[in-house]
Amino acid sequence: MNNSPAIEVLNLHRSFGGNKAVQGVSFEVKQGEIFSLLGPNGAGKTTTISMLSCLLRPDEGDARVMGHSIRSDQMGVKSALGVVPQEIALYEDLTARENLNFWGKMYGLRGSALKIRVDEVLEIIGLSDRARERVGKYSGGMKRRVNIGVALLHKPKVIYMDEPTVGIDPQSRRNILDSVIALKNQGMTVLYTTHYMEESQEISDHIAIMDHGKVIASGTHEELVKLIGGQARIELTLNTNAENVIAEWKTVEGVDSVTAEEEKISALVNDSNLVLPRLFESATRHSARITSVEIREPNLESVFLHLTGRALRD
Amino acid sequence: MIRILDITLKDLTQLMRDAKTFMFLLIMPILFTLLFGYASGAFSSNKSDSRLPVGYLNEDNRWVAQSLHDILADSETIRLVEYSSATTSDLEALVTDGKLAAAIIVPRGYGQAMLKNKTAHLIVIADTGSTAWITIQAETLTAVSRLDGALRTATIADDMLGDRAPFRYAFDQTLAAWQDPPIKVVETTSSVVPKVTGSGMSLAHTSPGMMLQFSIAGLLTAAQVIVVERKSRTLQRLLTTSVRRIHILLGHYLAIFTLIFSQFMILIAFGQLALKVEYMRAPGATLLVAFSAALCISAMGLLIGIIAKSEEQAVILSIVPMFLFSGLGGAWVPLEVTGETFQLIGHLTPVAWAMDGFKNVIVRGFGLDSVLIPAAALMAYAILFFTLAAWRLNVSEER
Repeated sequence: MNNSPAIEVLNLHRSFGGNKAVQGVSFEVKQGEIFSLLGPNGAGKTTTISMLSCLLRPDEGDARVMGHSIRSDQMGVKSALGVVPQEIALYEDLTARENLNFWGKMYGLRGSALKIRVDEVLEIIGLSDRARERVGKYSGGMKRRVNIGVALLHKPKVIYMDEPTVGIDPQSRRNILDSVIALKNQGMTVLYTTHYMEESQEISDHIAIMDHGKVIASGTHEELVKLIGGQARIELTLNTNAENVIAEWKTVEGVDSVTAEEEKISALVNDSNLVLPRLFESATRHSARITSVEIREPNLESVFLHLTGRALRD
Repeated sequence: MIRILDITLKDLTQLMRDAKTFMFLLIMPILFTLLFGYASGAFSSNKSDSRLPVGYLNEDNRWVAQSLHDILADSETIRLVEYSSATTSDLEALVTDGKLAAAIIVPRGYGQAMLKNKTAHLIVIADTGSTAWITIQAETLTAVSRLDGALRTATIADDMLGDRAPFRYAFDQTLAAWQDPPIKVVETTSSVVPKVTGSGMSLAHTSPGMMLQFSIAGLLTAAQVIVVERKSRTLQRLLTTSVRRIHILLGHYLAIFTLIFSQFMILIAFGQLALKVEYMRAPGATLLVAFSAALCISAMGLLIGIIAKSEEQAVILSIVPMFLFSGLGGAWVPLEVTGETFQLIGHLTPVAWAMDGFKNVIVRGFGLDSVLIPAAALMAYAILFFTLAAWRLNVSEER
C-alpha cells in the first residue's frame, strides 16, 4: 500500500437549479481508512458521493479515486469502486445468487472466477443457505446485506457506503458496522456517509462534518472534539416552557451555547460541576422546576451543535 | 458487448417470471383472434344456406309444373320452402312476417296452359318494393322462360321430326342444355393473386391485427421492468459500474425485441397452422415485416420504460397507444374500407405500416418487394423511438 490518497476531493461544486447542494467540498481519504461524511439530511453527502461515483458531473472542481479523475477517467474510477447505495438497489424478482451473478458480470467477472466469488460473498453476508430465495422475500436486514455484498464482488479498492443502516433493526445495524470494520481490516478504503453520530464515532478513522453543502469540520474524532475545547453537554428537562429560562441561561458564566425545544434544553458548558448549580438557581428564580438532568461528555453531536447552533438530527 | 447480453438475459428471466407477460403476448391475442374471427363469421360452416327463402305451393299436378319446381329448386339465389296444404293467406302472413322473402303459387291448370301455348299465370306474393323482390322476380322469370323455351323447342322438334325426336325427349334435352350453355362467363383469378375466401379474408385481417395490438399491450410488462429498475435506483447502481449507458439501453432493447419477435413467430405459426392464414406464402416477406415491426414496437417499449415515472404510468403509456395505434392503424377495421383522410391519418401510426406489410403477403399475395416500404417505415419509427429513449435516459439520469 503506498501513501497516495485513495480519494482526493478538490473544491467540488454542484447546484440543482438555484439550490447549491455542494459548495466547495474538499477532503482527502487515505488508503485503508474508514472516512465518514457526517451531517443531517440535505447536507450534501449523497450529492458528493454521486459525483465521486460519476453519476453526477460536478459544476466545478475535480476528484481523484485511486488516481483516476472523475472528470477525465470515469471508467478508471468505476473499476476501482464498489458502491452501496442508500436504497436497496437489487432485483427483487431474482434470487440472491442470481443478483450476485448478474452484478458480478457487470463488474467484469466471468466463469469459475465469478462462481467462486459469488460463493465467497454469500458466505461473507451469511446468506449461503438462502441464496436460492428471491430477494423480494427477504427481510430488510437481509436485503441490506445483499446490497452490500454486491459492492464487494469485484474486490474493489474503495467502497462507498451511503447511509447503509437507514431503516433497519439494531441487530442488522450491528452486523453492518462490523462488516465495515472487517472491510477496513482487509485493506479496503471505505467512504461512509451517515447522519448517525454514534456510527461515525464508532467506526471512523477520519470524519468530515457536512452542513448546507460544505465541510464545516474535518479530522479524527479526538481532533473534532477538541474544537469545542472539551466542552460537555448538559441536557435538562423543565416542567414549564423553556423559552422563559433560555435567555438568562445564555448569559450564565461557563455556558457556551444553549438550544431549546419546548421543555428540553441543551447547553454546552466548560465545566458541568460549576455550571450546573448556576442553572438550578436560574430556574428557581423563574419558578421553573428541573425534572431531569443528563450530562454528556463531549462528542460529535456537541461538535455539530457548537458549529451550527443546531442539533444533528434537526 | 457481452454485458448487453447479460442485461438481456436478466430482463428475460424477470419477464418470464411475470404471468402477465404470457397473458398479454400470447393468450390474449389468440383469444381475440378467435373472438373476432367468430364475430366476422370466419369459423361458420360453409354449408349454411344464404339463399332467399321463397314459399312454394304447387296446386297443379302436371309434369310441366314439376319441371318448373325443379328449375327453381336448382337456383343459387332462392331456396324453395315447399308447402303442400297452405292457403294464400297463410303464405301472405309468412311474407308479411318476413319469414319468407316471397311465395310462389302454381295454380291448377298452369301446366296445361303452358303446353297449349296459352297464357299461364303464376301467383307470386312479395313486397315488390324490396331489393329481394328484384332478385326473386329475375330468378322466377328466368325459370319460366327456360320452361317456356323448352316446351316450344320440344313442340317444334316433335312437329318436324316426329318419332325421331319425341316431345318429352326434346323437352328434357333442351332443359339439360341450360346446364352447360354454349356461352358462359367464367370467373378466374390470377395465380399471382390466389383467391382468399370470405372467411379467410376475415382471419387474414384479424390475425395480424390482434398480434400487433397485443404486442403493444405486452409492452406494459417489459416497460415495467425498466421503470422498476429506475425507481429502485438499480439503474443508478448499474451506472456506477463500468457498463456504458448505450449498452444498458441496448440490453433492455434486445430483451423486449426478443420477447416481441418470439411472440410474432409463435402467433404467425399459430395463424398459419391453426387458422390457415397464408403467412408462409412469402416467408421472407413475412419475416421482414415481423422483424421490422418487432424492432419498432420494442423501441416504443423502451421509450415507455424510460418515460414512465411509475408502474401505473407504464400501464397507461402502453394501453393508450395500443388503442390509438390499433384503432387508427387498421388493426380492428381494414383501412381499405375507410376514407382517404382516415387512411392518411392511420399511416401516421406504425401499426398501419405493419398491417400493410402483412396483408400484402397474406391477402394480396405479393412478395418481398411489396413489404420493403412498410418495413422501411417501421425501421424509421424504431430509430425515432430509440433515439428519443436514449435522449430521455440522458436527461432523466443526468450526469
